[in-house]
Amino acid sequence: MLWNAKEIGLFIKEKAYIDTVVVPLLPISFTDTTKQEAEQAEFITLLTNLLERQFKGRMLLIPPYTYMSSEVQGSGLERLQNWCEELKNQGFKHVVCLTSDPGWKEHETDLDANLIWMPSIPLEHMDEKYKRKIVDDQVNQLVKLIVQNWQMG
Amino acid sequence: MSNQRVSRRQFLNYTLTGVGGFMAAGMLMPMVRFAIDPVLTAKAGGDFISTGTSEDELSEEPLRVDFTFEQVDAWYTSDVTQTAWVFLDGDGGIVALNPTCKHLGCTVNWEGRESDPNRFFCPCHNGLYEKSGENVPGTPPTAPLDMFEARISDDGILELGQVVPNKIVEG
Repeated sequence: MLWNAKEIGLFIKEKAYIDTVVVPLLPISFTDTTKQEAEQAEFITLLTNLLERQFKGRMLLIPPYTYMSSEVQGSGLERLQNWCEELKNQGFKHVVCLTSDPGWKEHETDLDANLIWMPSIPLEHMDEKYKRKIVDDQVNQLVKLIVQNWQMG
Repeated sequence: MSNQRVSRRQFLNYTLTGVGGFMAAGMLMPMVRFAIDPVLTAKAGGDFISTGTSEDELSEEPLRVDFTFEQVDAWYTSDVTQTAWVFLDGDGGIVALNPTCKHLGCTVNWEGRESDPNRFFCPCHNGLYEKSGENVPGTPPTAPLDMFEARISDDGILELGQVVPNKIVEG
């Protein structure tokens, strides 16, 4: 389900079936990594949308968790921990955080969530057909990871 | 030149009828145009989208066909990619199933689980469908998969149209 008025109505009605929530983690900064971060935002947004389409009936895609890059250590981590905790309390059995920001990798164990890190691919200069194929491959990888996650209970 | 004289009365009659006629026509024309407009509008629905998949690629085994079209949603235009599972029904007909699960809208896959060959499988809540799109009783879905209208264009390319309710299961 997407986070919009129409689909949230269905979500509230069928809550029992939706046990997975996806949180995209998107960094913002204005240093020399700005361009990569914009790229990541584009890539992760595309990826999560395609993933949601595949698993619409069991997955809620919520608006991204955005933060200043400098926040990852410290307040940013604490805030994300609160998010995950809150989501778990809301009855989501699986909380999936999807990001391209390498800063999170070392905090994987600090989070009560399934952190998936995907290397961002610069899509801006890519041919439409090639782009679609690459993104499809990435989505398929993710699909497998998520199904595995579900099977483990 | 005729010698007949046109009287003042006749002249006024002719001119007034003429002008009156134009005015009446000016009023009636738009009305008539509005009245028959529904008949004249070109049919917007029923548009078929070319998938780029040729007829020869199809077989009785469902094939995943992706096709893209432009969708205008208020002020936002986007390219939407849709998927269909297309196969031949054995009598020369083409069946194109819409992979949107009738339960909560996930995307189903052909033989998506190894223990269920020859069926469509939905990974979210283990929904199953027969090849015809018929939902397997005892699994969450309550209705058969929808279909796309399908046809082959003149140059042998598969074209898909509107989503319609499943016709093979009911029949």
